Amino acid sequence: MINILIACSIGLPWLGALLVWLIGDKREKAQHWAAILFSVAAGAAAVLMLWHTSAESGLTITMGGVFGDFTFIPDGLGVFLSVIATVIGSLAVIFSTSYMKGETQIGRYYAFVLFFIGAMVGLVLTSNIMLMFFFWEITALCSYALIAFHNDDPKAVKGGIKALIITSIGGIGLLLGALILYVYTGTFDISVFIAAPSAVPAGMLAVLAFGFLIAAAAKSAQFPFQTWLPDAMEAPSPISALIHAATMVNAGVYLLARFFPAFKDVPYWCEAVMIVGMLSALLAAIMALTSMDLKRVLAYSTVSQLGYMVYAVGAGGVFASQFHLFSHSIFKALLFLAAGAVIHSVGTRDMEKMGGVGKHMPFVKWVFLIGALALSGIPVLNGFWSKEVVLEAGLAGGPSWIYGVMVLVAGLTALYTIRCVWKVFFGEARSDYHAHKVEMAMKVALAPLALAALVSWLAVGPFSTLLGTASLPQHHIESLNIAELVHEVLTLPTLIALAAIAIGVVLWLLRAKLEGFVEGLRGLRWAADHSFGFEAINSAVVRVTNSLAETLRNTQTGLLNWNVLGILAAVIILIAAISLGA
Amino acid sequence: MNLPIPFIVLLAVLSLAGTGFYCLLFTRNLIKVVVALQLIVKGVVLAFVLAGHLVQNESLAQTMAITVIVADTIVAVIGLALAVQIRLHTGSLDLKALSNLKR
Repeated sequence: MINILIACSIGLPWLGALLVWLIGDKREKAQHWAAILFSVAAGAAAVLMLWHTSAESGLTITMGGVFGDFTFIPDGLGVFLSVIATVIGSLAVIFSTSYMKGETQIGRYYAFVLFFIGAMVGLVLTSNIMLMFFFWEITALCSYALIAFHNDDPKAVKGGIKALIITSIGGIGLLLGALILYVYTGTFDISVFIAAPSAVPAGMLAVLAFGFLIAAAAKSAQFPFQTWLPDAMEAPSPISALIHAATMVNAGVYLLARFFPAFKDVPYWCEAVMIVGMLSALLAAIMALTSMDLKRVLAYSTVSQLGYMVYAVGAGGVFASQFHLFSHSIFKALLFLAAGAVIHSVGTRDMEKMGGVGKHMPFVKWVFLIGALALSGIPVLNGFWSKEVVLEAGLAGGPSWIYGVMVLVAGLTALYTIRCVWKVFFGEARSDYHAHKVEMAMKVALAPLALAALVSWLAVGPFSTLLGTASLPQHHIESLNIAELVHEVLTLPTLIALAAIAIGVVLWLLRAKLEGFVEGLRGLRWAADHSFGFEAINSAVVRVTNSLAETLRNTQTGLLNWNVLGILAAVIILIAAISLGA
Repeated sequence: MNLPIPFIVLLAVLSLAGTGFYCLLFTRNLIKVVVALQLIVKGVVLAFVLAGHLVQNESLAQTMAITVIVADTIVAVIGLALAVQIRLHTGSLDLKALSNLKR
């Protein structure tokens, strides 16, 4: 049974991708329906897996030779992320049927979306790290292709290539890790390694641990690789919701959480993870405060919230990180889809040109407000509970100064979120836009997400059992019911965090009186607008690479004779080396 | 003068490959490049046969030789076809005329 479910949740989207492409762009309606059918079917298969979790292999494909077996283990962590990928994937597809209506080459769009969903499920379920690397790269490829979907727009193409290059750097870290793992354990099987990490000598284990941290940081847009995510906002909004908020960017957090039991004793690793999370959360929150582009604000907030999850893993709170991931996937997908509805209707992403949108789109206003409150960590929405659990875990497992910074970021989060909501939905219209009606397909996708943002935290009991020792024997996650969650959260640190959030809200309400103070922070604003110098570093790297390539080009004469000379010289050196060595 | 047969074959290998490489180093004519490649590969086939004889594994050497002959024929055919096309497009068989493909 479970093997069929695994095969379905990976295979159905891929089959759908092929089919949508074969249907052809002349039959747009059939493409929409095929995409919905296959993504919803995969979602159903993934949900059914929730009742079949185990720590044993669910599906094994024998490859033989050096690749070993392609094993898929339906453990709690993997199944949970598969459900997120397929369910939010199908909601994004449903939303797309309205959002992408009338676009040309819709087949290419759906084919990549479905290809992505299948690869994401494979990535979290497989226990063969080589196969995981393949899925990892497929998700990066789909992300690139969908960011650059409007390939006549140079900005979109540039954003896509940037994302591809930076996530590929992370991919190298993962590949290196896979090879080290194979050299020392003789297998690509992750579960064998996690059960006995001492098979790898301490020095190599450290290389592995920090290599995976780089991989995770690049994939999850964490410090110092955070710059690709805001530029990825050139993608159509459903893509931003699915890939760049709810699923692919979680792969880094997933990697850290999955390997946490093996790496937790590596010196300075936990500290490094916490600091990466803290810096990402802080810098991105400040940038979100100054940006005027609606989707970029959401992108910065994604980086910031992913920072919370990374921080939680570093502090030993694997459950906290996954619980926040769960909440974040829901409310951020909701925010992105709602923002997509606004952008689709108003025709701009610039918040300076919006204002008063709520009067024309009350439904979108309310669901966006729910998502925004959850993001700010206002009780009793899901974001409140999970953020508090993260902060508790951080206080218990990490230094208190990092905890202090994270509480400050919670306040900043409330401030930039309320600023964003206000500028878009309230006040007077600041330009002459024409808001359209919100279509049914958009409402169908938004309503369940809004509902889930309100109540998903009630599922904490089953969720903690899902991640329990029955399916993750090395992680030691204890089950937690609602009463215990409430008891754990209602403590002094929560009040401090709530006070920080309240201060954030009050600062916004008093913004007119604080203008002098804001003026004093001009330097910070300038730095945030220039992404704290990371864009400059990026462009310097690109410049150096280009000029180096231009210099090296001179060695390519294009003349056969010179190339033959080179080959001959190499052969002679090789023969000489061999005969001298022998 | 009584030279052993393997030694004579080795000389043949070296002179075939050497002539071929000499040609590749100094010719700029595409047809001659293909001819030079053929010379080198013939030397290599002979080297396989010699190596097979020396390690007493003639059947493996034969397999390799036949494989190389097949592959080499394809190289020659495609090389000559390319030469014809290049002649048609650029009006010359000079390799230098092709180096403007670089940019």
